[in-house]
Amino acid sequence: MTRVTDIHAYLADFDDIPGTRVFTAKRAREGYHLNQFAMSLMKAENRERWKADERAYLDGWAMTEEQKQAVLARDYNRLLDLGGNIYFLAKLFSTDGLSFLQAVSTMSGMSLDEYAAMMIAGGRSAEGQRSIKEGR
Amino acid sequence: MARITAGVASSHIPALGVASDFDKTAEPYWAPAFAGYEWTKRWEAEQKPDVVILVYNDHASAFDMKIIPTFAIGCGESYRPADEGWGPRAVPVVEGHPDLAWHIAQSLIIDEFDMTIINEMDVDHGLTVPLSMMFGKPEAWPCKVIPLAVNVVTYPPPSGNRCWALGEAIARAVASYGEDLNVQVWGTGGMSHQLQGPRAGLINAAWDNDFLDGLVGDSDRLRHIPHIEYLRETGSEGIEMVMWLIMRGAMGKATRVLHRHYHVPASNTAVGHIVLEPV
Repeated sequence: MTRVTDIHAYLADFDDIPGTRVFTAKRAREGYHLNQFAMSLMKAENRERWKADERAYLDGWAMTEEQKQAVLARDYNRLLDLGGNIYFLAKLFSTDGLSFLQAVSTMSGMSLDEYAAMMIAGGRSAEGQRSIKEGR
Repeated sequence: MARITAGVASSHIPALGVASDFDKTAEPYWAPAFAGYEWTKRWEAEQKPDVVILVYNDHASAFDMKIIPTFAIGCGESYRPADEGWGPRAVPVVEGHPDLAWHIAQSLIIDEFDMTIINEMDVDHGLTVPLSMMFGKPEAWPCKVIPLAVNVVTYPPPSGNRCWALGEAIARAVASYGEDLNVQVWGTGGMSHQLQGPRAGLINAAWDNDFLDGLVGDSDRLRHIPHIEYLRETGSEGIEMVMWLIMRGAMGKATRVLHRHYHVPASNTAVGHIVLEPV
């Protein structure tokens, strides 16, 4: 049985994965209002208010200025660093009319065409992407 | 008595729902992904399940950060498709089976699984895309559905072992329900995908196919895979595969494979699909 017995080791492992922010409690707490803001865009009337004045809409939420700037810039990697979760942020890029493929490509360091071509060719290999420490 | 007759697993990629809704399934990009479900559509039409217990995860639709249930069971009369930011999918309302759902909920709690009970919620692509893949585009879904939502978004999600054990408890609960019902259990999500960060787009076909292999027969090796292995090998969203283990646990000691399908890509994701029956 692979029962987890050490919560600190369990959590520390997540920081060893290259190019990945696991949505831990620490991130969930930091990003609470950011994610709840994104969630609010599930309602059509909120989307209208948001589109009319993004900055004014953001100022209705208890987010940090850094989080607000990252939202305005649609900087998704930065938003992940600031506690955003992709399924919540999906409400933001869906409101912008972007698909998951389009939005995710912006985090990959590749153009949309390059990213889509990589996926069609079988995706990004796990080789060298598993562990920072072990370089595998 | 109610009987679990089969288990189905499938990815629940939102883009598959979009392709279905807008009749793009014959386009060259989408055709190979959908082709692997043709067998299952015919098989489901013959099987005519009365109820599907549909294991899925909510993607910040019914649940936001206010309440995060680890295991939740839908005991409501019906569930509308959720508006996930682009308007609700134009698919039928999902009809529940409150009597069986409440029976399962009570049985699970007595069996020491501390379930959250949901009477009202909307259901997102995690639940409606598998229905589209298995049933196509009917006027009404051909069976009742009991949603079983698992937290795989905020860490820690439940372990694979716990998911498997929940499946075993669901099987006991269904077997003790008096009415004669044909019940299927579906596990959804996966397979490899990472929707975030510079490692986005990770796909591990070898690992995914080994996981599919592990669902068949009498091995229980999959229940011992730790979270970190899913994350390292299959991308951050590959963790959804723990939900397939609820289905596998519900199949009992051994399974036989009836159908299997694997295709890369659909959007950012590896499409995996398998149909099992208990032996």
